[in-house]
Amino acid sequence: MIGNDIIDLAAARIESNWKRKGYLQKLYSEAEQLLITNAADPEIMLWCLWSMKESAYKIYNRQTKIRSYMPLRLNCYDLQVSGNLILAKVFCQGNIYFTKTIIHTDYIHTTAAVSEGVIDSLNIGLYTDVDSGWRLNPVSKDKYGHPYLIDKNTFEKLPVSISHHGRFCSYIST
Amino acid sequence: MEKEQIIAKLKTIVKPFVKDEQAFENLNDNTDFIKDLKINSANLVDIVLDIEEIFEIEIDNEAMERMLNVKTAISIIEKQLAEKQ
Repeated sequence: MIGNDIIDLAAARIESNWKRKGYLQKLYSEAEQLLITNAADPEIMLWCLWSMKESAYKIYNRQTKIRSYMPLRLNCYDLQVSGNLILAKVFCQGNIYFTKTIIHTDYIHTTAAVSEGVIDSLNIGLYTDVDSGWRLNPVSKDKYGHPYLIDKNTFEKLPVSISHHGRFCSYIST
Repeated sequence: MEKEQIIAKLKTIVKPFVKDEQAFENLNDNTDFIKDLKINSANLVDIVLDIEEIFEIEIDNEAMERMLNVKTAISIIEKQLAEKQ
């Protein structure tokens, strides 16, 4: 099981005012709020944590078929920051998801998996043009709206995770 | 507050975040904020905060978790308004 989430930082700056009253409290635990306020760049940390939660939620939703707007039930912890990379874990309803976040000047991209080993072997496709992303990755969706690709050789359904925001879209598969 | 008034206010709140105008024009009880209106999940919290401000109610975390479509949003608003009286 895999999940991913991309955030266009320019779009996020236009679309979201994270400094508004009550915003942080509705989305982030007290521990996460501390990570944000103590970060060198609080805005970047805020979106890193958000993309961790989103990519982990995509797996949770795929596993359980439960849809819920539950950012406070997705808890990011054990962050290991090295340069523009953050490895972390997300705890959700008894499950642990492993995440890897890349911080780029223009975007933040997180991939999530149910085991640590899978994270480094994922196929990642990142596109700055949403249309070519769709063209190159003709995905179908099952009845739950979960995307998959058909393997050209085996005709097997391969689960993929798609994310798009602003100028960017990303596709990941195992 | 009548249901029509609640829907009218809710539409004003939701409109700035809508990415699918066609779905917004056809908004009904079953309209899903994310699947139909294509609202970014990072903006769903803005809708929750705007509802709190405009209706002068509180939406707790448990209610926020269910805030995925028009029908649930209306029932949560109605319930909180009734409790306020």
